[in-house]
Amino acid sequence: MSFQLGIDIGGTFTDVVLLDEKNEKLTFGKTLTTYGDPTDGIVNGIQQVLRDNHVSGKDIRRVLHGTTLVTNAIIERKGAKTGLITTKGFEDVLEIGRELRYDIYDLNITMPKPLVPRNLRVGVSERMDKHGNIIHSLNQSDLAESVQKLVDQGVEAVAICYMFGFMNPTHEQETAQYIQSHFPDIYVSVSSEIMPEIREYERTSATAMNAFVQPLTHTYLSRLETRLYEMDIAGVINIMLSSGRLTTLEGAKHSPIHLLESGPAGGTMAGVFVGKQTHRKDLFAFDMGGTTAKASLIHNHEPDITNQFEAGRVKRFRKGSGLPVRIPVIDMIEIGAGGGSIAKVNQLGLLTVGPESAGSEPGPACYDRGGKFPTVTDADLVLGYLNEDFFLGGTMKLNRQKAEDAIRIHLAESLGLSVEDAALGVHRVVNENMANAARVHILEKGQDPRHYTMMAFGGAGPVHAFHVAQRLNLKQLMAPVGAGVASAIGFLVSAVAVESVRSHVNKLATMDWEQVNLFLDELEKSGRIFLANSGITDADVTVTRQSDMRYFGQGFEIKVSVPNGILSEDKIVKIEKNFSKVYKTLYSRTIDDVPIESVTWRVLTKGPSPEIRLQQVFDDNSHITLKGHRKVRFPEMESPLECPVYSRYGLTVGDEINGPAIIEEKESTFVIGPNSRFSVDNQMNIVVDMEAS
Amino acid sequence: MNNQKFDGINLSILWSRLLAIVDEAGTALQRTSFSTVTRESNDFAVVLMDTQGRSIAQSTISVPSFLGVIPMMTKYLLNGNFPLNSWKTGDVVTTNDPQLCAGHKPDVGVVSPIFHQDKLIGFIGTISHVPDIGGVLWGAGARDAYEEGLLIPPTKLYAEGIQNETLISLIENNVRAPMQTIGDIRAQVAANDQGRKGLISLMNEVGLNNIETLAEQIIGVSEKAMRDAISDAPDGTYKYTYGADGDGINEPVTIECAITIVGDEIAVDYEGTSDAHTLGINAVLNYTYAYTAYPIKCTFSPDVPNNDGAFIPITVTAPRGSLLNATGYVPVGARNMTGNMLHAPVFGALVQAVPEQVQADCGAPCWCVVLNGRHPEKDNMEFVEYFFLNGGYGARPNRDGEGILSFPTNVSNVPIEVLESSTPIRYHEKSLIPNSAGMGKFRGGLGQKIIFEVLNESGLNMSVLTEKLITVSKGLNGGKDSIHGKISISPERFIPPKGIIRLKKGDIVTMEMPGGGGYGNENDRDPELIKYDQDLGYIHS
Repeated sequence: MSFQLGIDIGGTFTDVVLLDEKNEKLTFGKTLTTYGDPTDGIVNGIQQVLRDNHVSGKDIRRVLHGTTLVTNAIIERKGAKTGLITTKGFEDVLEIGRELRYDIYDLNITMPKPLVPRNLRVGVSERMDKHGNIIHSLNQSDLAESVQKLVDQGVEAVAICYMFGFMNPTHEQETAQYIQSHFPDIYVSVSSEIMPEIREYERTSATAMNAFVQPLTHTYLSRLETRLYEMDIAGVINIMLSSGRLTTLEGAKHSPIHLLESGPAGGTMAGVFVGKQTHRKDLFAFDMGGTTAKASLIHNHEPDITNQFEAGRVKRFRKGSGLPVRIPVIDMIEIGAGGGSIAKVNQLGLLTVGPESAGSEPGPACYDRGGKFPTVTDADLVLGYLNEDFFLGGTMKLNRQKAEDAIRIHLAESLGLSVEDAALGVHRVVNENMANAARVHILEKGQDPRHYTMMAFGGAGPVHAFHVAQRLNLKQLMAPVGAGVASAIGFLVSAVAVESVRSHVNKLATMDWEQVNLFLDELEKSGRIFLANSGITDADVTVTRQSDMRYFGQGFEIKVSVPNGILSEDKIVKIEKNFSKVYKTLYSRTIDDVPIESVTWRVLTKGPSPEIRLQQVFDDNSHITLKGHRKVRFPEMESPLECPVYSRYGLTVGDEINGPAIIEEKESTFVIGPNSRFSVDNQMNIVVDMEAS
Repeated sequence: MNNQKFDGINLSILWSRLLAIVDEAGTALQRTSFSTVTRESNDFAVVLMDTQGRSIAQSTISVPSFLGVIPMMTKYLLNGNFPLNSWKTGDVVTTNDPQLCAGHKPDVGVVSPIFHQDKLIGFIGTISHVPDIGGVLWGAGARDAYEEGLLIPPTKLYAEGIQNETLISLIENNVRAPMQTIGDIRAQVAANDQGRKGLISLMNEVGLNNIETLAEQIIGVSEKAMRDAISDAPDGTYKYTYGADGDGINEPVTIECAITIVGDEIAVDYEGTSDAHTLGINAVLNYTYAYTAYPIKCTFSPDVPNNDGAFIPITVTAPRGSLLNATGYVPVGARNMTGNMLHAPVFGALVQAVPEQVQADCGAPCWCVVLNGRHPEKDNMEFVEYFFLNGGYGARPNRDGEGILSFPTNVSNVPIEVLESSTPIRYHEKSLIPNSAGMGKFRGGLGQKIIFEVLNESGLNMSVLTEKLITVSKGLNGGKDSIHGKISISPERFIPPKGIIRLKKGDIVTMEMPGGGGYGNENDRDPELIKYDQDLGYIHS
């Protein structure tokens, strides 16, 4: 029992990693994702990797899994027929939302349709006040009638969200119990369990979304459990959450909305993994794929967490155009810049790239599958970054002529430039877009970009990383081995954890500490019970507290750490000090004389963070390092130069080579500009020293 | 990279960097702001300008109130007491004069010069709505400009880096929330500084020593895009008359709008519009310009980032002393109630020229509610709480209006639970009102109803600004009008539509905002849409 499996289902491939804990060795496997029943792909992938390594299912101690199931169900609106029960008079809150437009100039703006249509939203007479005191008790005949109305319309899942239900959950619980006892087949999501936070629209939205995806998540995870059992795998199954933490199967079935960013979170956690292996505490994880680029910060081996998130945006990449879900999620920027992003010359005569993407079908012009428009990948090919005969390890031949034609017809001619100069323009514009977004993100965190090492992932990440890092004045850039299975590696270093929250709006100075201590204690207890049920011994549990705080009168809260133990007036100074420190980091000033107010309290109960030791990750020393030279055009140069091309598989630990260089591997190509130096560390990561550039 | 023209690649890269610079500064300003409207409603703007005070880049999420306003203000400063050669490194000039700035005193403008290699190369300016500026409780109730609080004429807030202590002290002693107000003004200075640093770092990076060519090119292509779009519209003069509530009792207002399109230029004239109103709903010309240019920009050039170029082909005139060109000392505090409906006459005129590019009237302007009283649970501390209500969105030529959506400004609601936590009121209802929009081939978005009860023994003062109690959201191209809005109180008594009322414990206030106007003939409506509306309960037959 000394093996662990990480499984990540992506759009095209299902990735599997096997960790041999005794021999400190990782093995990667890859198989096609099976859309009909995704567990088929999982079984194929696992069988393959177990066979190759002569390992039996019984030897698997733990299975870690991430999936895009929930996100896709929201985007494609393929969830259950869901009903919503609210306090009478507030049935439309879910549809009215926050009344804000996400685009000021578009008269044809559309807003996301609510997950529960108006005819499936019913109100029940009941009311709590802001303290959770019952103003009107739950009207039983109203309840029976409302539930019947939903049942008659055939709902499979019901969301319950009452005003101030997070302050006193008894009415929500009574309602849930009523449904469960009368209609046991209906799935029920309760707001005081899913998102016990102030702000009725956001809480209703999260609860409705949870109900919407609960039946299909339940079915899928139960099936996964069965299939693993059939392979004699009886180890613990943990599921990746949006926060980069893990939960149990039961936890995932109960709150599936926490799985929304399961896959991308794995990507950031892979950064944590590599950071731990190479002793780099602070990283900037940069992942660029076919349609998007994502980036996030890692601090002190921990991802940066936010609770502002939106699912199913109507206008992709546009903040405010989706359905809000306040769950802990790794704070990530996502922009429409990937290999498939289409470049065009707009009405102003400017070259723009994305967010429209050619996707994988028809794909970039050079895929020769009917794509007519020039994309980032076409530009990368024309510039010599990509090898037409070694794309995806040579499994796919690229058509250089098609790429040149597309760039000539759609870009070069209207810009009055050569094909090569236009291609360089595409490369520069897309890099600039990513650098701009990254710069804003890092500044919003009050951080200095120069402090970070960039870690490049994804098919297109290493192709663009050098010049993005250069725009951001980063000092170091690295590309790990196995970037193609990045997310699955990340699962291995994640900890099982649960965050329990409670809103309680009050100024520090007038806080009722007795009450605060009481609920903080409850939150911690519920977390400890959850972890105990996951097989984690109490001695291994760490508890940390945070509060979302602001200056009284402000509308944005910041996360402030709060000491453990019994709180009282004596602790105010300490909490205020923590607040000031965070505020100052973010806004480079503090404000005296304005009282500090706390809005929501969070208790994170966490199991141990796995420490994984690895022998050298990679041992294929074929020593055929230099593959040859080819003409490559870099933005720093006026004309192409003969650039050395290396095979990633030929580089050895300790190699030190000057840029420029192209390093080819199956899943990606690492482009390293002139005036730099790179080396290969003992984990086979390529580390580029940017100082020289 | 200086005085030669930039190609389509370099221009694209530099332009997006400039926009990122103003957006970064805007984000910092918004997040540190105490003012609810700045924060929740994006009621601020950051603008980067050349040495002539022409806008090159404006923060993208700002509300339309400030379109063209900071450049107009800066040009005024340059032509007045602050000529180009007088600016020194570390200077910062501020003013809230409604005539020069954004039309009412809570909007404070702050302008800083940008020096590079010891040469003045441009300006950066911000406007933000500060928490308080003195005077009577915000609303339409002031009798003249003096009752609307402190006026700061264009004054140096910093002279070569040294703070003007007299001005700070003057502000501190004349506003209700001095820490927050001074804090917000300082945040503007800091935002200007951040934008300045961003620009200098960009210039160093790419080796620019001035931004004249860049400004010229950005303004040039934006102007051309706007002119090209206007010239596609047929020449002519298009007129529309729009009636509004005024005080909602016995002094209504009429807006006469005549739009003349000749070639690639648009001239909007409000000749015939009502005189300045007794209530503070009067708009200065800067503000009238902003809310007139806004629907025109949406119609003709929605995708081009904001800068001076888009506005060169647009002129706006209104009779001096009228509702839309307030002069002298008439009150202007609630000018948003007028500015926020100018899109309706503009679209009403433009529909005759470009019927496929406009939208019907929205359930706008948003209603504003200010509650003021003493908090029973918080040591009887005085509180002032603002909230806003939006109506339905107008129908479009190709689709229904959205449900509740803010237009033309962009103000979010305050969550009910947040409001109840800070104010002694309790909501009974917040819901969509079926049948409240104008029907048509496409219908308007529905309006909304809220009902709340007053909880505290000592009661509250409520200042309200409502609209469309006697008028409606107008339909376009054969589309029907919306229903009227309503405001009532139980036990029943009179509520001034734009004014202040004292509320007692147990009072129940009901507000109903109208939906948007319809577009096109109702007989042409798709039967599937009719069925969908009935199935979901949006429309009852």
